[in-house]
Amino acid sequence: MSRTPTEVADAVSEVFRGVFDQLAAWRTPIEQLLAASAGGVGAAAGGTGAGASSGEVRPVTLDTTVADLVLPRLEEDDPMLVGAGFIADGEVVRGKGVHFAWWLGPLDDNPVLGSTDGPTRLDLSTRGYTEYLRDFRALEWYRIPATTRHAHVTGPYVDHLCTCDYILTLTMPVHDADGERMVGVVGADVAVRTLERALLAAFLDVEEPLALVNEHGRVVLSTEPALQVGQLAGPGSRTVPCAGTPFAVRVQPAGSGS
Amino acid sequence: METRVGPGAREAVFAQLADAGRAEQVAQRLTDGIVLGVLDPGERLPSEPELARRFGVALITVREGLGILRDAGLVETRRGREGGSFVVHDDAEHRAIITARLRGLAQVELSDMAVYFGAILAGAAERAAERASDEDAANLAGWLRNADFSTAAAARTNQGGFLLELAVLSQSARLVREQIRLQAEFGPLLLLGFADEVARAEAADLDQRIVRAVARHRASRAREAAGELVVMLARRLLAAKARVERGGALDEPHAD
Repeated sequence: MSRTPTEVADAVSEVFRGVFDQLAAWRTPIEQLLAASAGGVGAAAGGTGAGASSGEVRPVTLDTTVADLVLPRLEEDDPMLVGAGFIADGEVVRGKGVHFAWWLGPLDDNPVLGSTDGPTRLDLSTRGYTEYLRDFRALEWYRIPATTRHAHVTGPYVDHLCTCDYILTLTMPVHDADGERMVGVVGADVAVRTLERALLAAFLDVEEPLALVNEHGRVVLSTEPALQVGQLAGPGSRTVPCAGTPFAVRVQPAGSGS
Repeated sequence: METRVGPGAREAVFAQLADAGRAEQVAQRLTDGIVLGVLDPGERLPSEPELARRFGVALITVREGLGILRDAGLVETRRGREGGSFVVHDDAEHRAIITARLRGLAQVELSDMAVYFGAILAGAAERAAERASDEDAANLAGWLRNADFSTAAAARTNQGGFLLELAVLSQSARLVREQIRLQAEFGPLLLLGFADEVARAEAADLDQRIVRAVARHRASRAREAAGELVVMLARRLLAAKARVERGGALDEPHAD
């Protein structure tokens, strides 16, 4: 019993800073690619191609770039991320309304997607719910970065479209060459159980019971047995924000009473 | 017609299969999806490798399953770049298949499926009421307000989507997965009664009751409304079973 709640909150911030730094590192080459396409470099490749105009990038070029960036992080041992990629709005990818350059890490026995032993591309064209996802801009992981122009964490939530698991989705806005308009998000999914493995020891190293909660008070991790993951926590004796994240460490948290 | 509000019913069609007789299971799952309107006429099914991965079966099993569908006249396969397996629309044929399916299942099997479906759904509804934030409840209410129940096909898709969205609010990945699996196995039959607009209206009312209970964090009321919903659907399903066993029409209106 050697840590304080503040130190635990710092440990949480550290984990999220690692993922956000990764997103920022992915964003730079993607923005450079988009800027190069906007500058007319893409026109040489297109020639008479239908729909070719400045400001658009060829899907295959974008996909290769994104795959090269994210696949190493999905293939590593004990990956922190269960999914990652870039989702472009309708105006930057040639011939596409909405473009998902998104990969899933290896999946355990999954009732919707089956089991996979390597990364797989999220292929919406072969899925029945593509139509539903056309208004993806209304979904939290896209809508909030578009509104605030800042990175955002969605969840914890049961993601029934991608992983069928309880996850957090981190997204960061990607802007056009002028830096004016958001043209998509880079993002990564983190399974709640992976986050727990990274942080539980630190939480248990504090004498008082603690809960990691999101901005709605939803529990991500708890050392108070009466308060479980997924519940809404009641007030505690105090709440320590985790800098740079929407999360906070609640000390001696109460259950939600329901 | 805006029918694709919720993804649940559609993705459930392709959820993973288990155990023996897999080609027949592939055929059965897709048949239910087609004849009950979850998959649209003219729609291209996912590719054979994609189906194999989604169902968790070998490619040859998928081909065998699609062969059964072709023989039944439910899909046609076109070659070439824009090729694939496409859903064929034939209303009379579909009704004959549903009738045969209902005759093939015993009353005890149908009612037992409903008991299990109801237990999972009631549990999900109860947890959702305990755990949904105000924002979650408002989102679900807004979603349901815009869901189209005006036709049987739209109502089936949206009812499936609603039940899945409700399960999501339980915050339990296992309940969501089980809900997806059960909707795949049993959803199309359970929603058979949606051919009757009275059933659609009753279901929509019960959905509203569930949403109100979730918004007010009234767990026992959410459970009760979810239970009533499944009981109502099961009653209509068993009535349809009795009609076809008597040689009557599948969705002939019946006197309550």
